[in-house]
Amino acid sequence: MVRFKNRYVLCEVLSDDPRCRQCIEERAVGLAVRDAIGRVHGDYGLACCSVSFTVKYLNAYTGMVLLRCRKDSYRLLCSALPFVRHLESRAQRYPCALNTLHVGGTIRTCQKFLIQYNRRQLLMLLQNCTNEEERQCIQKSLLSCSLTEEQSQSGDEEDDDGTE
Amino acid sequence: QNILIVCFSVGYSAVALNHVIDFKEKKQEIIKPVSPSELFPSLPIVQGTSKRIKVLTRLTLVVSDPSHCNLLRSTSANIRLYDVIAVYPKTEKLFHIACTTLDVDLVCINVTEKLPFYFRRPPVNMAIDRGIYFELLYTPAIKDSTMRRYTISNAISLMQICKGKNIVISSAAERPLELRGPYDVANLGLLFGLSESEAKAAVSTNCRATMLHGETRKTACGVVYTVKKPRKVEEEEATMPACKKAKTQA
Repeated sequence: MVRFKNRYVLCEVLSDDPRCRQCIEERAVGLAVRDAIGRVHGDYGLACCSVSFTVKYLNAYTGMVLLRCRKDSYRLLCSALPFVRHLESRAQRYPCALNTLHVGGTIRTCQKFLIQYNRRQLLMLLQNCTNEEERQCIQKSLLSCSLTEEQSQSGDEEDDDGTE
Repeated sequence: QNILIVCFSVGYSAVALNHVIDFKEKKQEIIKPVSPSELFPSLPIVQGTSKRIKVLTRLTLVVSDPSHCNLLRSTSANIRLYDVIAVYPKTEKLFHIACTTLDVDLVCINVTEKLPFYFRRPPVNMAIDRGIYFELLYTPAIKDSTMRRYTISNAISLMQICKGKNIVISSAAERPLELRGPYDVANLGLLFGLSESEAKAAVSTNCRATMLHGETRKTACGVVYTVKKPRKVEEEEATMPACKKAKTQA
């Protein structure tokens, strides 16, 4: 069966500045990643990776970004991600770092990984939180997160069949 | 301290704090390392497992003269307090000495300028046999574009000689944002010419081996080798280092 195979790279945006979270947008992240690929791999790398490059999913509250690229060029993309230093939007530059969490072949596998990762993060937060109400809130959300067909806690995305 | 917090959140399970000693000044004393318990009252737990994160201390000696190596052989107590010792040779002769005779765990490879010497195969092979690892830094590559070129060219020339064995990639991060997660560092290893499994090993198993090498260097003074003799009378023969005599009971 002839179909285009993609790789979905799940990253987390780490930054010192709390204002950086607000300016995480699809365009800004896409431009920053493209710029880093251009600096590291040159024109060839930029052209290779931008064949099917999009930012599929973005969560500004947790800083999760899901990028899509072709299977042939995902190595170029992954090796250029450590070189992203700034996010630019609305004429403001914020220093940041991208941390790669998972590379998967479909959005569904990335979603499963993201649910497990968020569950672990919530567990860690549970240990640190001091307020009783926060504790109950977190426990409730831990018990209720699962992969369902409707909107689940980790985010909403449609399934990408892979056929284009 | 912020850097350490970011390290832990990104997923590293052991971190080493580096202290660099340069010999350009006349007299330098090795300072006692900062104890990790001063920084954190209680170390946080690694994500995913239930063990606490290890914070080790590390010393880097920048040597440009053979007389500086005498410091390693001196019995100054402060050197023994460091967990990992690294040496940063500046000339070919020192590189040779570091690989063959010096008692260190890591040999740092310069990434910020063009190497003044070429690597040769004999000292590199001897270092691999002795269990010494070569270290590459990746933070200069993130900061600056010319550093990136030198890093990659030096790393590739090292790879061609050592075939990707015994490599450790580490960061010399001064700010929390210069740190990258383990998956990203393994991807950087691909840029340096390592294969995928070697790159992952460079972040995980080789580092662990370096830690163990440092521990054995700190603690081991001699080897006890017991052999059970195939006789009816149960007798154990032990050979001990010259300072102690063996007591055998017939």
